[in-house]
Amino acid sequence: MGRRRDARLGLKQGNAVTALVEGIFQALVAGLLIGAIYGIMCVGLGLIFGVMRVINFAQGDFMMLGMYAAFYCFTAFGVGAVFGTTWGPFVSILAAGPILALVGYVVHRLLISRVSGTRTASLEGEGHHAQLVLTLGIALVLQNGGLMAFGSVLASIRTPLSSSAWELGPFLDMSVFVNKARGIDALMAVAIMAGLALLISRSRLGKQLRAAADNSVAATYMGIDVDRAHRIAFALGTGITAIAGGLLATNYPFHPFVGVDYVIVMYAGVVLGGMGSIVGAFWGGMTIGLVQQMSTLILPTQLQNAAIFVVFLLIVFFRPQGFFGRNVERT
Amino acid sequence: MAESDNPISRRTLLAGATLGLASWRLWAAQPAEIKVGLLVPLSGLYARPGNVMRHGAEMAIDHINAQGGVKALGGVRLGLSVIDCGDTTEKAKNAAQRMVAQQTDLVAAIGAYLSSFTLAVTEVTERASLPLLTLSYADSITDRGFKYVFQTSATAQAQAEQALPEIMKLAQAATGKRPQTVAIITDNTGASIASVKPMRERLLAANGLKLVVDETFTPPLADATSLVQKVRSARPDLLFFLPTVISDAKLVLEKMNEFGLGQGRIPTVSFGIAIAEPDMLQTVAPEFLQGVLTCVANWGFKGHEALIAEFKSRYKEPWMTQNAISTYGDMWVIKNALEAAGKADRASVATALRTMNGGPSKYYPGGEVRFDAKGRRVGAGMTVVQWQSGIPVTVMPPQLAMAQPVWPKK
Repeated sequence: MGRRRDARLGLKQGNAVTALVEGIFQALVAGLLIGAIYGIMCVGLGLIFGVMRVINFAQGDFMMLGMYAAFYCFTAFGVGAVFGTTWGPFVSILAAGPILALVGYVVHRLLISRVSGTRTASLEGEGHHAQLVLTLGIALVLQNGGLMAFGSVLASIRTPLSSSAWELGPFLDMSVFVNKARGIDALMAVAIMAGLALLISRSRLGKQLRAAADNSVAATYMGIDVDRAHRIAFALGTGITAIAGGLLATNYPFHPFVGVDYVIVMYAGVVLGGMGSIVGAFWGGMTIGLVQQMSTLILPTQLQNAAIFVVFLLIVFFRPQGFFGRNVERT
Repeated sequence: MAESDNPISRRTLLAGATLGLASWRLWAAQPAEIKVGLLVPLSGLYARPGNVMRHGAEMAIDHINAQGGVKALGGVRLGLSVIDCGDTTEKAKNAAQRMVAQQTDLVAAIGAYLSSFTLAVTEVTERASLPLLTLSYADSITDRGFKYVFQTSATAQAQAEQALPEIMKLAQAATGKRPQTVAIITDNTGASIASVKPMRERLLAANGLKLVVDETFTPPLADATSLVQKVRSARPDLLFFLPTVISDAKLVLEKMNEFGLGQGRIPTVSFGIAIAEPDMLQTVAPEFLQGVLTCVANWGFKGHEALIAEFKSRYKEPWMTQNAISTYGDMWVIKNALEAAGKADRASVATALRTMNGGPSKYYPGGEVRFDAKGRRVGAGMTVVQWQSGIPVTVMPPQLAMAQPVWPKK
């Protein structure tokens, strides 16, 4: 017991090697856990940016809406009261996905569809200029509308799991902590990723989405409603990113402007993974999480986000198509 | 005889008319309302503290106007012009440029919460000769030779110099021995860096502390594991933690608890307001905050019970933070400068601020309402605040304390 407590409290100051190895394992675990959340965050954008080729700068703000949807499901709509503070947050997060998917569907139907899909033929730059302006506008409306609706007070999906951990060890005077909330978040992220991969690769809907993404003109000739396929992809992408936001919110307090901090991470993850690859987007996000956490072992902590972009540039330089992208789809 | 019967003589009539005309001209020369700018973040990451500053300013203006406005100018009312400076230094500077270009009737301003913002904003207000009062800490704000910036808080360096010996004394009194080692986790915003710099250079050594972990991060953090792991490995006697973003405070405190280092196992001392903001209770369980100390330039203290009660009731806030009370005090300083200047123009107000001698400060801890050649308030003191039973209360200095300090130990 004494040995276990000593390891837990880090009372082995004399052994620098042990401390170093323990630090490496701890950073690896932290990187994998946060990387899994970044992963499905990137998958959400991957569906929209990678598959539909829609530049969506409002994706971070849809994530913010997902955080608030989960928060209100948990606190105001009784999920917390029914399922408690341990499992209630995760049920709320799962509920936030369909809510935001519906929002995404409506936003696409009313706005995005005017500058994407089959209508881009008549627009300059394949509609990208219009998409840029439109989604930036949506982002501003969501941020400031969020400030008016939710206020500037930080919100948080509070669970006792966010400040407790599973302890692996002690072994060789080392122990590694796995944050319980982040651990469950990561498992959910992997399960959602696996479910989506199956949906895309095995289902009829998945085939339609892939066909619409690969060649929308040919897909139209084959009788596929490309606009509908894009709407569904946009809704799926928005819903998945909302779930990612909810998972992040179990440890991270948020406010209406939180999306700004994460939209760049999402784009970097999608490009790293390879445009058009959903699995690639997940691994792109995972890479960002790992680099962010592991870089602190050798670099000053304040450079951890700079390290992400150094790795990003290196990968773009040596493998421009990303991890899983095809050669013709250069980043 | 007939003349003496007439109650109004021709001379009296003429004198009255002249006086009346002069009074009218004096009245006509004064604006209906004297505008003071409040340049604070109202959107983005720092919207919450910006809103609290706004509450402090509004309450001060209501009190000033209820007490007759600026008497030297015939009771003219003070008015507030609120400008959002956003959440980056670029936005803050742009907002300041808009403010000086569009609102030429401002006589003074207050801003801009974060030291990094204040540094950018004062580059603009200085060129416009607009006096600006700030609660920001960074020494560099008043180290640039500027003539129109007035720092009502003690600078970061002054606070560190005052706080460290008191913290060491408190630890020694509670545990019987002085702490030997310390870890520093700080973000890289202006005030935090300004606080940590003199510690690294001389104050830690002067107080017998050895620095065993020195980590600087860029806010907001995504995860605090790597930072707290270094603390866990080094196991210092004390942790100095300097966040300016509440989410960073939450992540580090929860990670400390997760790693078995929280709740007094490693006593945590913060510098700055973030860790004592009301929002902390929205995000962190009160038991993780119990005993955490923070050194702040100002806080609701003894003697202001009525003001604190009014603030709490009016704005539904749980306590009065530095942002509220300092901004409240700043507005009174501007009002007194207007009284001394006797004119509602920024040059006269700036001169009045430079030459002001307002005696002992009422709304700031220690010192006087007087500014030195750099624009720093003379003798500015500070407060030490401690989380006790879910509320951060002033525990030092003793003459301002609302509760006794308790050294967190386990």
